[in-house]
Amino acid sequence: MAITLKNLTVDFDNRFQCKKINWTINAGEHWLITGSNGSGKSALAAILAGYGDIEAGVITNAPEKVGLVSFEAQAELIAAERRKDDADIMDVIAEGTPVHEIIDAVATDRHTADKLIEKLGLTPLLNRAFRKLSTGETRKVMLIRALSCNPGLLILDEPFEGLDVDSLSALQAHLTEVAGNTQVLMILNRLDQCPDYITHVAYMHNGELQQTVDRTDNDAYDALMQLLHLKTTELSIPPADPDFTLPPLNAEQPLVKLTNAAVRYDEAVIFENLNWTINAGNHWQLTGPNGSGKTALLSLITGDHPQCYVNDIDVFGFKRGSGESIWQIKQFIGYVSTALQWEYTVGTSLRNVIISGFYDSIGLYSKYTDNQRNIADQWLQVLGMADRSSDTFTSQSYGDQRLLLIARAMVKHPPLLILDEPCLGLDDMNRQRVLALIEIICARSTTTVLYVNHHAEDKIAGIDNYLAL
Amino acid sequence: MAENYFNSLSLREQLEQLGKCRFMHLNEFDDGVNALKGKKMVVIGCGAQGLNQGLNLRDSGLDVSYALRQAAIDEKRQSWKNASENGFTVGTYEDLIPTADVVLNLTPDKQHTAVVNAVMPLMKKGACLSYSHGFNIVEEGMKVRDDLTVIMVAPKCPGTEVRAEYVRGFGVPTLIAVHDDNDPNGEGLALAKAYAVGTGGHKAGVLMSSFIAEVKSDLMGEQTILCGMLQTGSLLCFDKMIEEGIDPGYASKLIQYGWETTTEALKYGGVTNMMDRLSNPAKIKAFELAEEMKDIMRPLYNKHQDDIMTGKFSQTMMADWANDDKELLGWRADTAETAFEKTPAGDVEISEQEYFDNGILMVAMVKAGVELAFETMTSAGIIADSAYYESLHETPLIANTIARKKLFEMNSTISDTAEYGCYLYNHACVPLLGDFMKGIKSDVIGAGLQLNDMTVDNARLIEVNEAIRNHPVEEIGGTLRGYMSDMKRIV
Repeated sequence: MAITLKNLTVDFDNRFQCKKINWTINAGEHWLITGSNGSGKSALAAILAGYGDIEAGVITNAPEKVGLVSFEAQAELIAAERRKDDADIMDVIAEGTPVHEIIDAVATDRHTADKLIEKLGLTPLLNRAFRKLSTGETRKVMLIRALSCNPGLLILDEPFEGLDVDSLSALQAHLTEVAGNTQVLMILNRLDQCPDYITHVAYMHNGELQQTVDRTDNDAYDALMQLLHLKTTELSIPPADPDFTLPPLNAEQPLVKLTNAAVRYDEAVIFENLNWTINAGNHWQLTGPNGSGKTALLSLITGDHPQCYVNDIDVFGFKRGSGESIWQIKQFIGYVSTALQWEYTVGTSLRNVIISGFYDSIGLYSKYTDNQRNIADQWLQVLGMADRSSDTFTSQSYGDQRLLLIARAMVKHPPLLILDEPCLGLDDMNRQRVLALIEIICARSTTTVLYVNHHAEDKIAGIDNYLAL
Repeated sequence: MAENYFNSLSLREQLEQLGKCRFMHLNEFDDGVNALKGKKMVVIGCGAQGLNQGLNLRDSGLDVSYALRQAAIDEKRQSWKNASENGFTVGTYEDLIPTADVVLNLTPDKQHTAVVNAVMPLMKKGACLSYSHGFNIVEEGMKVRDDLTVIMVAPKCPGTEVRAEYVRGFGVPTLIAVHDDNDPNGEGLALAKAYAVGTGGHKAGVLMSSFIAEVKSDLMGEQTILCGMLQTGSLLCFDKMIEEGIDPGYASKLIQYGWETTTEALKYGGVTNMMDRLSNPAKIKAFELAEEMKDIMRPLYNKHQDDIMTGKFSQTMMADWANDDKELLGWRADTAETAFEKTPAGDVEISEQEYFDNGILMVAMVKAGVELAFETMTSAGIIADSAYYESLHETPLIANTIARKKLFEMNSTISDTAEYGCYLYNHACVPLLGDFMKGIKSDVIGAGLQLNDMTVDNARLIEVNEAIRNHPVEEIGGTLRGYMSDMKRIV
C-alpha cells in the first residue's frame, strides 16, 4: 500500500515547519531525501516516524513500525539514559542500562540482531553501559535496534556518518540485502554514497518538498545533483583575469543613462520618454508584461538594438553613435537571455563557451591564454561540471546550458551583468539552480546586476531597485 | 552596350588578372577601420547584403546612411522600411551621394549600369565607388570616372549570414579587389581592407583578388557545382528514387537535407572527409560513380568556362535582361513544377549517417562537381585559392539554402546571374547524364548498399583513398582551412 502525505503541514515545537507536503511512497520504492542544511530533510523523515504536530492535511497508510536511525533519535536515547541516572537517588554508582538490554528491548528479529552485533564489532561491548559508549558505538546500537525490530519502513538519517570502514561496508552489505523486502528511506549529505537500490530522490527546500525524481530519469537526476552541488557546497566566484583589464570607467558617471528613450516599429510605439540611470553598485530588477519592451530596452543598452543609434544613450562613457564600435560597449557587459541561448548553437566545448565570455563572442575565435583557461575550469568547478569540460555545449541539457551562459557572462567580472529572464523556459529544478548561482554572484562580486523577469517568486536577495514597464 | 572589359585586355594582362588571389594575413588588418573612420559611407540597395553590411559597418563605428530613389521613399517601400526602422539616415541620391566619401553599390547585377550611371555624376571628386561583384566592370565594361577609386568587397555568404557571423564576434570569408584602372590616389587597398574589417570579414579570412578573377571564377562556380549540380542532382536523384519504388516523402527529405548534411562534412575536412563518412564499400562505389560522371560532364564544364571567358555567357544573359527576363522567369516557373519541388519532405526520421549511407550518388555528384569545377577553373588560368573558394568552400552554403525550402529557396537566395547560369547548366546536364542514370539503382540512392559483408580489397581501397586525398582541391583546401583554424575559428 502506498504511503501518502496530502497537503501536510507539520510543526516541530515552533522551531520548524514542513509545509504543504504532497508525497506518495509506493510499495517497493526506496527513497533518498536530499536538500541543503536546514531544508527539512530530517523533519520530513521524522514525520513518517510519528514526530511533529500535524497542523493540516493527512497521512494515509503510515507504516505501523518504523526503524529509525538519526542523530536526534540517538540524542533522545542518550538523554533518556541520562535521566534514568539522574533519577537514581541511591548513593551507589549507577552503571546504567547495558547495551544488550537496550538492544533486546526492541529486537524482535534475533537473528539479525546477533548477526549485526558481530559484524559491527559490538560483541565485547554488550555488557557495557550504553551511556558509556562512544558516539560511533551508540550509533551502531541505534542501527542494530532499527534493523532488528522487523520494521515496515526503515528511516536512516545519515546512517553512514561516523562509522569506521569495516562497519560501513558491513552495514552497506546488510542494507542491500534488506532492501529486497523492507522499504528504505534514507537521508544523505554525501550523494556519492547513494546506494544502488535507491529508486527515487526527494529534494527539500525551506520546509517544502520541491522535487521528486525517479532515478531512472537520468536528465532529471543529473540536474538534481547539480542543484545540490550549488546549494550544499561552499562556493566562491573564480577571480577575474588579471591580464584582462577594461578601460577605466569614470566613477562619477553612471554606467548607463537613457534620456527620453523610445523604440518604435512602423507606427507602433513600444515605449517612449523613458529615462533611466543605472549607477554602479545599484542592482536593478526590471519587470513588465510580455511585449512591454523589456528586451528592447536592454538591447538599447547592449547595442544589439539598431535603434540605439537614434536614441540618446550614454553607456560606459560612450555617447552611442559617436563612432564607437559595439565591441567597445560589449566589453563592459555580461549578458544572458533565452535568445542568446538559442543563438549559441556553436558545437564547441563547455570550457570554450566560458572562455568566449572574455571575447564577447558566440563561439571562440581568439587565441586564449592559459590563465583564461584556468579561470574557465574554475567556473566549471563551481557549476559542478568539471568532468565535462570537453563535452559539446549543444549536447548539454537546457538547464546546464543556461548555467554555462551565466558563467560565460560573469567570467570577465563585467561592471554590468544583464540577466534577461534567466529562468525563462526552465523547469522548477533548473530555476532553483539558476537562482542559486545568481545569488552567489550578487553576494560575492562587485558586478552591478540588472535582472529582468516577471515571476514575482523569483526574487533575488540583494536587488532593491525596481523599474516596471 | 560598352565593350567587355576582359576582352579588351591583352592575353598577358588577362592572365595576370586571372592569377591574382592571395590569402591575407590577419596582421595586414592591424589598422582596423581607420581608413574609413569619420568618412561618409552611403549604401545604395537595402536588400539582404545592403542592410546587413550596413548594420555591421555601423556597429564597427562607421558612418552609414542609405540612398534610395525618391519613389521608394514616398511609397515607403520595403527598402525604405528596412533602412529607417533600423535607425539609419535615409535620403535621395541627390541628398546623400554628393556628401559621400564612399558609395557602396549593393544592388543586383542587373541594376548596376543604371545605378552607376545615376550615381556617378553626383559623386564628389576623389570619392570611392565600391562593388560587391565585378560583373558590371568586367562583363559590361562600365567606365568609371577617372578621379573615382573603384574597389570590391565581396563577403562570400548571403547577407543574413554576414550579419549573424558578425554578431557572433566573427565574420565571413571575404574577397577584396581594387580596379587597377581606377585607383587614382593609391588608397583603394586601404579602403577595401578597412571595409572588410568593418563587416568582420578579416576574422574569417580575406582573399586579395582582382575584379576579373572574381567574376570569372564566381560565375563558373555558381553555374556548375554550386547551384547547377545541386539542382540537376536533386531532380535526377528524386526521379530515380520514385522509379525504384522509394517512398516519395522519404526521397524528398533525403535530398532536401542530404546536400546540407553531406556537404557539412565537406566544410570540415574537404572531399576526403566527406568520402570518409561512407563505409569502405560505399566509398569505392561513390568514387567510381564520380569518376564516371566526371568523364561524362567534363565537356559541359569546359563549355561553361569557355563561355564565361569569352563573354558569351554574359552576352546571352544580358540579352534576356533586355527581354524582361523572359527565359529566367520561364525556367524558374518550370523548376517549381518539378516532382521533387512539389513533393513535401516526409515525416520520417533520417539520422545524420543515413544521409551518407543512402545518398552515395549524391556524395558522388558533389565530389565530381567540386573536382571538375576546380580542375576547369585552374586549367583556365584561375589560381587554386580562388577556385577553391568558388567551388568547395561555397557548396555547403548553397546546400543550406536547399535544406530551407528546396530549389525555390536556393534560386531565390542566389543572384539572378547565378540562377540564369544554373538553369543553363541544368538543361544541358540532365540529358547528358541520361544514360548514366539508367544504370543507377536504389542501392546508391535511397536504400543503401545493404551489405552483410563489408570486405574490400586492400589494394583498391588504398588506390581510391590516394586518388581522393591527392586531388589538388584537397591540397589547397587543407592549406586554406588551416589558415582558418589558425584564426581559431572553433566550430
